[in-house]
This record gives sequence, C-alpha cells and structure tokens, in this order.
Amino acid sequence: MNLSLIDPFILAQDYPDTFTEKLRSGHAACLKFNHTGDYLASGRVDGTVVIFDIETNGVARKLQGHTRQIQSISWSRCGRYLLTSSQDWKCILWDLDDGSRLRTVRFEAPVYIAELHPFNHLLFVASLFEDQPVLVDVTNKKPIKRILPSAPLRPPTEETDPALLAKQAAQDAKHSTCVTIFTAFGNHIIGGTSKGWINIIETETCNTIHSMRLCNGVVILLRLASNGRDLLVNSSDRVIRTVIMPDLSQLGINLDTASIKLHVEHKFQDVVNRLSWNHVTFSSTGEFVTATTYMNPDIYVWERSHGSLVKILEGPREELGVVEWHPGRPMVIACGLESGCIYTWSIISPQKWSALAPDFGEVEENVEYVEREDEFDVHPAEQVHQRRLDLEDEEPDAVTVDRVKEIDVDHDAFPVPVLLDIEDSESGEDIVAVGPGTMRRRTPAGGTQAEPEDIRANGSRGSGRNRRR
Amino acid sequence: MDHARSPPRRRETRESPVGSSTDELAAASDHEERERRRTSWSASKNFTPRRKSREDRHLSESDSPDELAGDADEYWRSSRNSRSSHNHRRSPSPIDRPAGQSSPDSLSEDRLSTGDDENNDTPIRDDMSERSSTPIPLVAEPPAKPERLNYHEKFILQGHLRGVSAVQFSPDCSMIASGGADAAIKVWDTLTGRLIYTFEGHLAGISTLAWSPDGQWIASGSDDKTIRFWNVNTGRAHTKPFVGHHNYVYQIAFAPKGNILVSGSYDEAVFLWDVRRARVMRSLPAHSDPVAGIDVVHDGTLIVSCALDGLVRVWDTHSGQCLRTLVYEDNPPATCVKFSPNGKYVLAWTLDGCIRMWNYVESRVVKTFQGHVNKKYSISGCFGMYGAPDVRYSPPLCFAVSGSEDGAILCWDIVSKNILQRLEGHTDVVLCVHSGVINGKRLLVSSGLDKTIRVWEELPENEEALRDISDDTSGHGSLPNGVTPSGDADGDNMMTDAPPDPSATSTPAEDVMMT
Repeated sequence: MNLSLIDPFILAQDYPDTFTEKLRSGHAACLKFNHTGDYLASGRVDGTVVIFDIETNGVARKLQGHTRQIQSISWSRCGRYLLTSSQDWKCILWDLDDGSRLRTVRFEAPVYIAELHPFNHLLFVASLFEDQPVLVDVTNKKPIKRILPSAPLRPPTEETDPALLAKQAAQDAKHSTCVTIFTAFGNHIIGGTSKGWINIIETETCNTIHSMRLCNGVVILLRLASNGRDLLVNSSDRVIRTVIMPDLSQLGINLDTASIKLHVEHKFQDVVNRLSWNHVTFSSTGEFVTATTYMNPDIYVWERSHGSLVKILEGPREELGVVEWHPGRPMVIACGLESGCIYTWSIISPQKWSALAPDFGEVEENVEYVEREDEFDVHPAEQVHQRRLDLEDEEPDAVTVDRVKEIDVDHDAFPVPVLLDIEDSESGEDIVAVGPGTMRRRTPAGGTQAEPEDIRANGSRGSGRNRRR
Repeated sequence: MDHARSPPRRRETRESPVGSSTDELAAASDHEERERRRTSWSASKNFTPRRKSREDRHLSESDSPDELAGDADEYWRSSRNSRSSHNHRRSPSPIDRPAGQSSPDSLSEDRLSTGDDENNDTPIRDDMSERSSTPIPLVAEPPAKPERLNYHEKFILQGHLRGVSAVQFSPDCSMIASGGADAAIKVWDTLTGRLIYTFEGHLAGISTLAWSPDGQWIASGSDDKTIRFWNVNTGRAHTKPFVGHHNYVYQIAFAPKGNILVSGSYDEAVFLWDVRRARVMRSLPAHSDPVAGIDVVHDGTLIVSCALDGLVRVWDTHSGQCLRTLVYEDNPPATCVKFSPNGKYVLAWTLDGCIRMWNYVESRVVKTFQGHVNKKYSISGCFGMYGAPDVRYSPPLCFAVSGSEDGAILCWDIVSKNILQRLEGHTDVVLCVHSGVINGKRLLVSSGLDKTIRVWEELPENEEALRDISDDTSGHGSLPNGVTPSGDADGDNMMTDAPPDPSATSTPAEDVMMT
C-alpha cells in the first residue's frame, strides 16, 4: 500500500549502500530468507535454529533439535516448513506453526546442503560429505532415500576394452557431488561435483541427462535466480560464474536432452588480489551478484548486464560468511564468521520535509508564482463550504483491494505465530552479560531485562567465543 | 444522440420504430436497453423502501436525472414499446413479467410492434440487438442499492460501572471486548450476550483496546500509561505490561501479522512495539499535540495517526518516515482515524462535527459525512458493508458508521453521503462503534457513556419486502415518489416495535451480571 507514497527515486535504487543493522542471537552460521522476506532463519553453531521477524528484528521462534552446526536451511514455498541440515548427520523438517519436528532423517555422513523441492515440502535433496547425494522422500514417517549419480554422463561408446572401462570407472568414482539443488519446477536436480562438473539429473528417474565440465576446481555452491534460468556457480578456482540454462520444462516438447547447452555468461573474479569467495548470491531480481570474500570483510556487488563491479559494501571488521539478499527489498544480510553476528545493509531514505508540512512542496529550482484568477476572491464561508460539499461527487470504492503484484506472490505467506512468551522457549544455555566481563547463565525468571542484549548485543569482535565459555 | 434523448422526446419515439431508419435504432438500442433494464429493476426492486431518485443516478451514471422522478409506469411503457423489438428474444425475468402485465395495452402493443420489427430486420441491427439481448442473469446488472439499513437492537450488555470507551469484535466476531473508565475489560459472547471474562489490573480508565489478529489476545491501553495484554483462551494477563509512554495511552492498533502494536499517546508520540518482546521498537516523532487516533493498513505497510493539533499523518511502517500529512484548513482537532477496508482512504473524525474521508495519496477530501454531534469527545467508528450478500455491487456497498454525542449511531453511505440509518437507543454519548459479521449476519456493537454496550443486528427486510410487494402489484405506478413516505414510516415503526425483542433477549446478560 505504501508504494504510491514513496519517493520513486528511492524505489529505483535497487542495491543497498549503507550498513544499517546488527542482529544477534547466538553464533549464526547460516542464513536464509523465506520467500516473502518476512522472516529470516538463522542456523547457529550450537545447532539451534532461530527465526527472526524482519519487521521487528526480533526472534519469532527458536527450534532446537540439532546438536552440531547448522549447514543449510531451506524454506518451503508456503513458508510453514523449514528443512535444516547439520553436521550432526541429520536433516530435520520443522513445522513452524508449533515449532515441532515433522520429520528427522539420519544419514551416514555430515550433510553439506539439503534443499526442499520447490513445490513438495516432503521431498528434498541432500549432498553429503564424502558420500553419494540422495533424494529423500519423507511422505511417510520412514524416509525413502534414492542415491543420485555423481559421475558425469558419458557418450555411449562401443568401447569394450576392459582396461579402458576400468579406468573410466575409476575416474567416475573420483567424482563426488558437493552441492545439489532443484530446478525452478523441481523436475530436475542440478549437481556440482568435486571435479568441476555440472550434472543435470531427472528427479523422477534419478538419471543424469546432461553433464558439462565448467571448471577445474570444486563446485562449492550452486544457486538459481528467481527466474529459474540463471545459475550462479562458486567454485574453488576463485571464479564466480553465471550460467544461462535452457528452459528444462520444455524437455520433450521442443528440447531434447542432446541439445541441452549451458552457456557461461559472466565470470566474476578479482584478478589483482586473487580473492576467493566464501559465499555468493543473486539479488532478488537476478540483476546483481553478491559475494563475500575470504579473509576480507568486504561484500562485492556486481551487476550482470555488463558484468561490472558496482559496489563494495563495508561495515564490520570481520570476515563474513553466508550472504543473502532479501527477496523483495534492496537489502543484503551477511553473518560474521568470528562473532556470529548478522549484519544488514540497506537503503536509508531521508525524510522528506514536505511530507510533514502539507502546504509546502519541494522544488528543484525557483518557480515563478502565478496568481490564480479567483485566488483571493472573498466568498461567504458557508457558500464555500456548500460548494465544496457539492464537489464531492465521485464514487469511491473503499473495499476492493487492488491486486497489483509484480513478483509472483501466488501464495499467502504463512505467518509464524506471535509468541509472547518467547523467552520461555529459549534454551537454558544462553549466557547473558550482566556487567563488564561478567557473564551468567540466564534464568527463566530473571532473564527478562537481559533479553535485548542477547539479540541485539553490541558485542565486539571475538566476544562470541568468550560468551559461550 | 444520447443527449437528445430526454423523456419527452422518447414519448415521440413510440411511433417512430417504423418510420425511423434502422441505423438510428441500432445506435439507440444500447442506450435504451440500459434504460429499460434499469426501469425493470426499479420496478422489480421497488419493495426497498425509501427510494430516492438521487441514488439511482449515482449508480447508473445516467445523464438525465429527472427520468426516474417522472411517472415510471408511463416511462416504462413507452420505453418498452420503443424497445419491444428485443423482448421476444430476451429471456424475460420473472419479475418484470408482472410489471408488464400490469398494463394490458402495453402487452398488445408489444405484440404489434414485434410484427413490425420483423419487417425492417437488417443484419446490422440484428447484430446489435443480439448483443444487447443476450440473456442477462439477474446478478449482472447491479441492482438498486438499498436505501436504508435495517439494524435492530439485539442485546444490551450491562456490567461496566462507568462509561464504556472502547468496544471491539474479536477477529472471528465470536466475542466482544469492551473497556471503560472503570478500568475493567469485559469479554462477551456475541451470540448469547453472556459475560465470559472480566479482566482487572489497570490502575486507571481504559481508553482503547485491540484484538490481536489471531484472536488470542486483547491489548488494552489505559490512562495508567501502560498497555496490557490479556489472553482470552486462558483468561490470564500477560506478565509483561508495555511500559514506555509518559502519558495516557489514547489509541492502539495491531499490525495485520500481530507482531507489531502501534500506540498513540497523550505524550504526543507514536510508538511501535515489538509485541513478542514487549519493547518499543520505534518511536515516531509524530505530533505536537496528544495523539488521539491510530490505525494500520490491511497489509501493514502504512500507519495513520491523528492528533488534537488537527494533523493526520501517514507513516511508512518499515522506515518510520512520514509520507503524508493531511490537514483540513480550519485545523479542527482530529480525534480518530481509520483506514478503509482496502486501505485507499482514511476516515478522520474531527471535533467540528464532521467525518472526512481522505484520499491520502492525493491529499484530498473525498467525502464529508455530517449529521452527528461531535464537539467534545473522541468518538470512533468504522466501515461496514451492506447490500445483499449474494449480489456483486460495483463499487461494493460500504457505509461509514459513527457514534454521536446525542446518543445516536449514524450510518452513511460512502458514495452518496446519505444517512442510511440512525440507530437510537443509547441514552448518552456513543463513544465507539464497531462492525462485524458472524454466521452471515451483520452486526454492530456500540458503547457509550451510559455504561451500556449494545449489539445491533441487521435483519433481512423480508417481511417488509413481502408487504411492499403485495402493495406494488396493486399499483406500482406511484413507485418513486409514493413509496418513500410509507417506507419511511414503516421503518420508524419497526424501530419503535423493536424494544420488546431486545429486552427479552438481554435478560441473560443481566443474569450473568448478577452472578
């Protein structure tokens, strides 16, 4: 509703420029916005998952179940379910309505990244540490795991030489998948391997339908833009690539598997400093690419039309890990590796003074004042009043809501219930600072006043470690 | 062409179908079809009492306003004759059939001209008539707006020891919360009028309350400078009061997700509270006089506040910036503001006895509602819907309702500014009115200085309608002018008939009060 009143110049600015906010609840290790951008899920080093309300910057829910650091978070499309993967070899599917665990899936290895199917919250892919990636169906209490191939698709050959076949098999065995994500419709899975290959796997059959060698390094992270066609690849060769994918939903209609072609659009790298990138993300529209840098507190923002660097976001003096872009606003968040704080960058618009004084307007340059013909005519007050009342002859519609949504919000976001007793659900392990250098364990009754410090502490570097004793 | 078609000329067209060129007929047919349909509607819907011709003009945007004021029957007949060519094609609605039969000569002429019609049938005209004569379901054409509302007193809820300043339906309308100068909050059952809870804990009178959107909590703002939360499921108070205002809390409102509470206070500030933490999230440097009214738009992006300095300010929730300031030139103190259901307009109560509906984007007063008395008190009201529930009106029928210092409650149509109903019952100033719907029944609840809360229910006008229809069949010729006084008298009688009914039903509430 507020769009019609906001300065269009502010709305036109599409990337953030100012360090604005600092959120804190424990030591955050991974972050993810829900699809509407109302909530931010933060996975902590201690295994707790915290849901922040972006409107209030407060904690909306805490989820406890993991015992080790959270590796990845994935929201369901409706915003009600949350999948978390952790180094404790588990994935948990949470129901945010009551904070309960809907499903818990155990693996034989720590989980790198788990991602929910875009339309089915009971299906997810998980890439495991030194193990085969799996597609997990949790429709029933007992999960059904299907192993996904890691080896690249080889063109069918007539080769029968056993030695060569054995060599190929040995090479294939060296591939391990580091990251798996779903395509926009969930019909396919994109996997990135330790040898720099990108595999496209059909979800239904779990067969690789296309493979492509993208780089020499390990594929660290794959991300899809909101349009579902642009792929962002971060790899260990210190290059971020944007890849344009074919429309895979056309497969079998006017696209066959042989003609799939992945086209590298841009390569972003720092040639001078040879920086490597911790974490990368697209902006909400896909126009910008953002990355945090290794051993460096800066966030780089490139725009994609020319592939040029437009902004380096500065703020905290620590190396940043996960970076995320708000799905609706020009707002970037990142978490500090050392302190575990969550930092936000956004736009600060100046107050327009003319909005406070209705009789004034802001003009760019001098305007010659022209008096209207009847401007100072004197009319009897009641006559003026009556004329004004008579002019009110339009037909206002005070009920019908305009449905102008530029983004595809085909679903109403699930509102996380407002818990007034949020402290009661907190773990007893939270340590609060009661004075300079003194910490104590929070007690349920006495923790009321100390609560703000927990969430928005102005804790300096390194204090995070000390706090956890 | 359309302009030339004033009523007297149309009477001439009775002879013209044969003589006039087919082209002219074709061009006129659309317009006339509309006219004819409208008259058929006014004929069919004439049981709605107190019809004013002005309403219809608004609804149909006709350029000749005096046609309806004229003798409708004659007009009906004449237009029917000139248009009868299409009647045989059109599926007749069951209602306009008897209307047509009421004058036998029109029927015969009907048949006659149908024969004429076949003669000068041309493809073009046929095309046009085909389009206009496609079977039109009754709903397609917006029926005439009801001229009045039919709210009747259902319960009188008594229990407060002093004036009741705030009353509100729960989000599902199953309960009513009320708070008053006796510092107590009472929760009532909407359907039975029974008292469910009494919450006590405030140290001074309560000026405002709000239901959380999930219906679990009631927030109340008091003159003891605090806002307190009360859980309706458990009947317990929230442990943490919202402390921060330096003076009386005047009005509060929830954001649609329930995570933010906005409060306006006598200390001239607007606070945004993080409900979960019971802490001030943001303070808006709002006004230079006590902030009297607060509301949040349906999607939560805007906040409107008003103050006794006469300014109405619209704020961006996210950035906390003032986006617009609305001021009426005489600066009358503004005491209450409400967003319209779609958030496009703001209703502002001012102490000059006016309620103004602002288009805040253009900073312009769209409508001014008058007729109530408001010189001293912060009276609040709201929007409500009316009209038959299964009919789509365009625009949807909406009314503004407010209390008055003479003890009445007034409902205005937001398009015509006419008073749709004046509810009498309270014996002192009516401070707060709220509208709601439960089980398909539209309700109003009001509270006032007479320590009572009254629940008003909209009754279908069936019995009256039936009576009117029987009148109409005898002779609806005097429709537009004739019905008005009789319908008026009818409605007033109904109002005076009402008391035995509420007094009977309100006994349970009094029972509860005794226990």
